[in-house]
Amino acid sequence: MIIKRLWLTNFRNHDETDVELNDGTTLVVGLNGHGKTNLIEGLYLLSGARSFRGAKVDALVRSGHTSAYIRAEVENESRTSLIEIELTTQGRSKAQVNKQKVKRFRDLGDTVRAVVFSPDDLELIKGPPAIRRSLLDDTIAITNPEFRAVRTDLDHILRQRNNLLKQAKGRLSNDLETSLIIWNEQLVNAAELIGDTREEFIHQFGPSVADFYQQVAGRNDPVTLNIEADWRHTGLAEALVKSQDDEVRRGMTLVGPHRDDLLMLLNSLPSRSHASQGEQRSLALALRLATYLYIEKVSGDQPLVLLDDVFSELDETRARRLVECLPNSQIVLTSATGTVPEGVNPSQTLSLEEGQVCAP
Amino acid sequence: MYDGPVQDLIDELGRLPGVGPKSAQRIAFYLLKLPKGDAQQLAAAIVEVKERIGFCDTCWNISESERCSLCSDPQRQTGSLCVVEEPKDVIALERAGFRGRYHVLQGALNPMEGIGPEQLRIRELMSRISDEEVQELILCTNPNIEGEATAMYLSRQLQPLGIKVTRIASGLPVGGDLEYADELTLGRALEGRRELQG
Ligand SMILES: [Zn+2]
Repeated sequence: MIIKRLWLTNFRNHDETDVELNDGTTLVVGLNGHGKTNLIEGLYLLSGARSFRGAKVDALVRSGHTSAYIRAEVENESRTSLIEIELTTQGRSKAQVNKQKVKRFRDLGDTVRAVVFSPDDLELIKGPPAIRRSLLDDTIAITNPEFRAVRTDLDHILRQRNNLLKQAKGRLSNDLETSLIIWNEQLVNAAELIGDTREEFIHQFGPSVADFYQQVAGRNDPVTLNIEADWRHTGLAEALVKSQDDEVRRGMTLVGPHRDDLLMLLNSLPSRSHASQGEQRSLALALRLATYLYIEKVSGDQPLVLLDDVFSELDETRARRLVECLPNSQIVLTSATGTVPEGVNPSQTLSLEEGQVCAP
Repeated sequence: MYDGPVQDLIDELGRLPGVGPKSAQRIAFYLLKLPKGDAQQLAAAIVEVKERIGFCDTCWNISESERCSLCSDPQRQTGSLCVVEEPKDVIALERAGFRGRYHVLQGALNPMEGIGPEQLRIRELMSRISDEEVQELILCTNPNIEGEATAMYLSRQLQPLGIKVTRIASGLPVGGDLEYADELTLGRALEGRRELQG
């Protein structure tokens, strides 16, 4: 899969950007604040992902406008598709593939696959569990439409169930108990499928992360990935019964896949608290590289690789080892200085100034 | 915030389902620009429907009389009763060829919108089951989370009564709406219904 051309209209600081990309490596050079990351973000949104910067629509639309447009020409096995996204501050944002509306934003992932490396990736290790859950779920979702649907259902069921618990105001009435049985059944069905799928995924993903970690860090320290989900020992149905009183008191769902975490052990110790900054950075890179490999394996397609100012954060050896691990796919990387490590050979260079692409 | 009547209109519109504050404002200003005659026609249509149309006392479908034409039709006494969420679902099932009786719940369980069993026509359904001859109760709530929850709830409530309870097959697009399923798909889903064991 290759993105041939990208148009950004009123997207962040891009007023009207039109760039042609080739199937090699594109280097985007520009000072900070001139729209490099915005370009990467626009490309990433084409894959149906949420903004990797956690941005809301209001932040994505250029100020003074109500809608932003991201459009792209995508080539899949010599078939060309046109992807169009309208992000609007008024009403619902929409996405189309070849003028056909997609039902869920995420379904764009069937046409565009992308992996993004960003300086914020350290949060994957140090940040709250929600970031790691997203990493898991977003990666699985890319090639698993059923999981995608159930994941959406889970959020919906949780919202309903939490509302029910909140309305109870701490009292477990007969009516509430009957209603809970119904919502628990739906929650359990969705949760068990999500739990199974995540576990299956981590069996494949974990060893690959360990491999890449050792390559990037240049050391043989063992890395293990586990999903921390206590409810899996008994099954969610039983766990819900146990926590029912607590849940009624606190008015929210306290157990289930929405509270799980991805535990990453480096030398048998939790990397979140025990790894050094350098080790954490290597691990974050390994997570992204493993994500790439997973998507490629499952989809049989080479995802687009987006590297947002990644090398500036790395020492020379680690940068070189990362370059050695990078796949031979379409790559877009940004740099403030324009210098790239040895081994990166851009086939074109774009220069960005105030959200405008200029000839370098 | 606007003055008096304009804000009143925005507030009223904002109470309609699926209309947020921004849309309410947009519709209000559209109405303000409307020729007087058109506005009166709209107002009259609302008043008229409220005056002439009510709900059938038996099945809670919309009806001009206390008992709707479907409930009064003796040929519909087939022993099967189809439970749906909204009047539009009755139309969809009619198109799909169902020829029994209906019961319109007037919604689905939805805690987010404050709709519990009490807000639905469930009590009325229970009393119908004891009064009328029902051999099979077909749960045709929508194939989405709320519809599924409602079906589960009903099947639990109905279990002690010992009547046959079936659920429309899940051949319908998941997360969907009966109304949007084409008649062939809906007809097949109806045919492929399965019995629920409590
Ligand atoms: Zn009737």
